[in-house]
Amino acid sequence: MSKAIWLNVAVCIVVLVTAEAGLCNDPARLAPRAFRVAVAQVKPSVVTIETYGTVSVAGGKRGTRFGAFSRPGEGPTTGLIVSANGHIVTSTFNFIRKPSVITVVLSDGSQHVAKRIGTDETRKICVLKIDPPTPLPVPVFVPADRVRVGQWAISMGVGYGGDQSAISAGIISAVNRVSGRAVQTDANISPANYGGPLLDINGRVIGVCVPLSPAGEQTIAGAEWYDSGIGFAVPLVDQHDILTRLKNGESIRAGKMGIVAAPLPMGQGVRLTQVAKNSPASRAGLQADDILIGIGKLRVIDMLSLRVAMGRYAAGDEVVVEFKRDGREMSVKITLEAGPFDYVHEATDAATAEPSSDDAKTPKPE
Amino acid sequence: MIRLIYACVICLCIATYACAEESTPPPFAKAAENAQARCVRIYGATIGRERGYATGLIVSPNGHILTAEGIYLGGDRIRVVMPDGQVQLARVLRRNENIQVALLKIDQPTSVYFDVPPKPIIQPGDWTIAVSNCFKVAGNDEPLSVNLGIMSMRAEIDTRRRALDFDVAGEIILIDAITSNPGSPGGAVVNYDGELVGMIGKLLHSESTGTRLNYVIPSDLLRLFIDGKPVPVRTSDAPDVQSDGMPYVGLRLFRMAGKRAPAYIDRVESGSPAASAGLKKDDLVLAVDDTIVRNVAHCDEVLSKLRPGQRVTMIIKRKQQALSLALTVERKERDE
Repeated sequence: MSKAIWLNVAVCIVVLVTAEAGLCNDPARLAPRAFRVAVAQVKPSVVTIETYGTVSVAGGKRGTRFGAFSRPGEGPTTGLIVSANGHIVTSTFNFIRKPSVITVVLSDGSQHVAKRIGTDETRKICVLKIDPPTPLPVPVFVPADRVRVGQWAISMGVGYGGDQSAISAGIISAVNRVSGRAVQTDANISPANYGGPLLDINGRVIGVCVPLSPAGEQTIAGAEWYDSGIGFAVPLVDQHDILTRLKNGESIRAGKMGIVAAPLPMGQGVRLTQVAKNSPASRAGLQADDILIGIGKLRVIDMLSLRVAMGRYAAGDEVVVEFKRDGREMSVKITLEAGPFDYVHEATDAATAEPSSDDAKTPKPE
Repeated sequence: MIRLIYACVICLCIATYACAEESTPPPFAKAAENAQARCVRIYGATIGRERGYATGLIVSPNGHILTAEGIYLGGDRIRVVMPDGQVQLARVLRRNENIQVALLKIDQPTSVYFDVPPKPIIQPGDWTIAVSNCFKVAGNDEPLSVNLGIMSMRAEIDTRRRALDFDVAGEIILIDAITSNPGSPGGAVVNYDGELVGMIGKLLHSESTGTRLNYVIPSDLLRLFIDGKPVPVRTSDAPDVQSDGMPYVGLRLFRMAGKRAPAYIDRVESGSPAASAGLKKDDLVLAVDDTIVRNVAHCDEVLSKLRPGQRVTMIIKRKQQALSLALTVERKERDE
């Protein structure tokens, strides 16, 4: 009998505990608290960037230069501390007005004049340096290969002014986007947080929010997606070790061979229509009418695959280019450069050498 | 004994069932359905590309409807489609320019309506559930569209004045769901428990970012308006203190490089407020109080708007340092 009572009590306890847990563990109710804790952790490392002596942007080509924006914002922008001795990473988008002076306001309110020391045009980020009197708080970073589709992602930035960050929550939509440089998220990524961190639910930095577009190289490209549910952030901790290079004042630019290509039917590769004089391609012996079939370990079957393959490299990188000439397969090593190169244009397709041309069917320089 | 165990098992079954039942509805269903039952569609006049439709909130049992100011309130036939699809005609009772909202009245009483909380009820990171007539995607007998987001921040935001835009008075709540869509203004944003956070306002652009804002006019401001109490006036629109002469700071900027050049100081007059504050030739003016100085022309404009007697803090760059120096503006004498 006493056994039965104990059993009864035990069952009742189990029932009670289960019911309690069911009420308190409503995951939807817990998420906002987690967002706030994550944001609070990284807040001391988020800085406000002010720019002075900016150029007028009214002279830009009408309707093209700033994409979706009738004109870019005039407010402060966001940066992220990446070293205790004053390195700050931010987005190149924040300097499209070409300011002559950049200052950084730390979370304690102190303002410091910053020097811009290194730029990665392919990731739209750059590194600033200030000389802080005391060591700065550096956030924790998530290695790029640990980021998974479906995990929480929280963006934050100070672009609306004041000392508050605007925050947005979503999930990681994709990894290895834009030639492996970025993660994609449906948290809002906009001028309000370009240069700010994209966080995981534990307040660690997944990447730096930037405008990116798989199809465009200009600083503004991708910004038109600011409220589309498509946003990008570039991880800083991956095999490329970008941060060290930028801190050392390096400039990273897109790597090009100096060719114009046109697709062949049925995914047979792309045919070179032009090889620029004095370009890496011409020095390596590539000629017009050669058919590109591989770059590095990637096959080239059409213009898109050419763009994806080339997007993985920066100026200064060496790539192995496989091509066919007169039916024979050959390969050659090419060290890529940033250009620009002199293309010989026929009057009819002068526009095809423009890097902004998005039409995959027209010949395109790489 | 067997009976006891039997009773226990039944207990367990009931408890498990109750638990399962409680966790079955989707997390945001209650909030969404509550809001949908208290939102109306508004159809009215259209001019050019302006949309002749919006959303509205039922805020009393006697047919009071709150909505955003818009072209659809301009004509003499404002149609309100109730949550059940019934059509009512509405008239405008009151409007407020500062927060660009209007109070409408229909004759039909309603049993369910929004309580408009007089105090803020959410903080950044909290869920926001938006319900609106965006793009008219919902047919008249269909429930309105629901969007999930979180609260981004609450602040007074500088907005751009354009034909369709306005400066909103007081603080607004930014959310990260996209609500800057045609038909969304006047829509409800509720918290996880279905309580009214605020109303989606008309289209606004941020001066700071150049982007469309997804925002809500907070319930506390709406409450003031509904109760007929004064709503905050935007500080920048507040009337100036009486102007008592031209301001005198005593510095001249370096103009040789043009009006768009950074605002370097060329000369500081001795004995002037600038001199006693410690400003020097070749200092670069970064900010005057909270206003960031963009260039020479902008600096001139900012300085000319100061008032004699005003205490201002100038932030300047000297070598690699940013310094903050305070001065008191004096009155400019005639003969200067």
